[in-house]
Amino acid sequence: MKSLAANLLGTPSEAEDAVQETFLKIYRAAASFRGSATLSTWAYRVLVNTCYDLLRRRARRPESPVSSVEPPVDFGSAPATDHPLRVDLAASLAALDSRRRAAFVLFEVEGFSHREVGDILGVPEGTSRSLVFEARRELQRRLLGSREARA
Amino acid sequence: MSQCRRFEEWLDRGTENGFAELETHAAACGPCREELELWNRISQAAPSLRKRWESPGLWVRIEKSIHESRRADEASRGRKESRAWWPLLAAAALFLVAMIGLRVFRPSLGERELLTSRSFSKPLLTEDALSDVEKSEERYVASIERLSRLAEPKLRQPSTPLLISYREKLLLLDTAIAELRSQLDQNRFNTHLRKELLAAYQEKQHTLEQVVKEEKS
Repeated sequence: MKSLAANLLGTPSEAEDAVQETFLKIYRAAASFRGSATLSTWAYRVLVNTCYDLLRRRARRPESPVSSVEPPVDFGSAPATDHPLRVDLAASLAALDSRRRAAFVLFEVEGFSHREVGDILGVPEGTSRSLVFEARRELQRRLLGSREARA
Repeated sequence: MSQCRRFEEWLDRGTENGFAELETHAAACGPCREELELWNRISQAAPSLRKRWESPGLWVRIEKSIHESRRADEASRGRKESRAWWPLLAAAALFLVAMIGLRVFRPSLGERELLTSRSFSKPLLTEDALSDVEKSEERYVASIERLSRLAEPKLRQPSTPLLISYREKLLLLDTAIAELRSQLDQNRFNTHLRKELLAAYQEKQHTLEQVVKEEKS
């Protein structure tokens, strides 16, 4: 959950705040859980919505030092999972709109199926596929752009 | 960007259809092969974006906030329970005043017969008033239900994060309304609970209106 929140929000402190708020919301709203989704999917849905709320709050604060298009903090990665493209990819991901970023992170980073991503984002499975495709397309173009700029 | 536009054209189509043909083409086209490699590397690199860091204080913070929330809930419930005695106390005081009044202004036998024939055959005013309140509440709930039906298609498949938030909020409001209604079933005369229920309905109405507006915008 921390990883997902960090990829959506960009900073570890905000990610931890989002996870804390999510657990509190889950505690308060446990009665409203209808069983139409699995508990974990529901919990992730609450987390994603909490992250959206935090992003909206951040957007309303013009003096906020962390912009939504600013490259995120580099958390580092375990050597076994590191990839030469990671840093560029993280920077490009931070520039995506929150919906596509959430779909991409849930599917490609966290490994959820399109059906689960749809459940979490409250969209049909086909929309999840489209969102992930659009995110990859955007990332591809940004990565190519930065590669050409460097060249 | 490459000279060949095949990869770009495929991207513009917006679906993964035709990927096999593109792979075949890329085997013989250098620029497209490069783009295809980058496309595949995005998925390969994505798992490395999983972030892991130690946050030893986080669970303690979560537990603390849950405990605080529970304490606040209990305190609020305690206040509500103590307030639940107020109507009873008010009724007792009214009864006492009425009894004293009855003693002081006790009517004569003739007047008593007149009163019996004219007034006591009618039901109590408070019961009438409560019945009126319940009827207007039913009408209000019905109008909210109509609004709910208008917003339902958008809420079933919300297309924006804002709509998802509204749906979560409506779920919470429905839970609160159900809880208040069950409490009211045990004490129909509790005006405080009625005010809270009305506030919850008003919030639901406002939220549904926002959803409908969001639908139009």
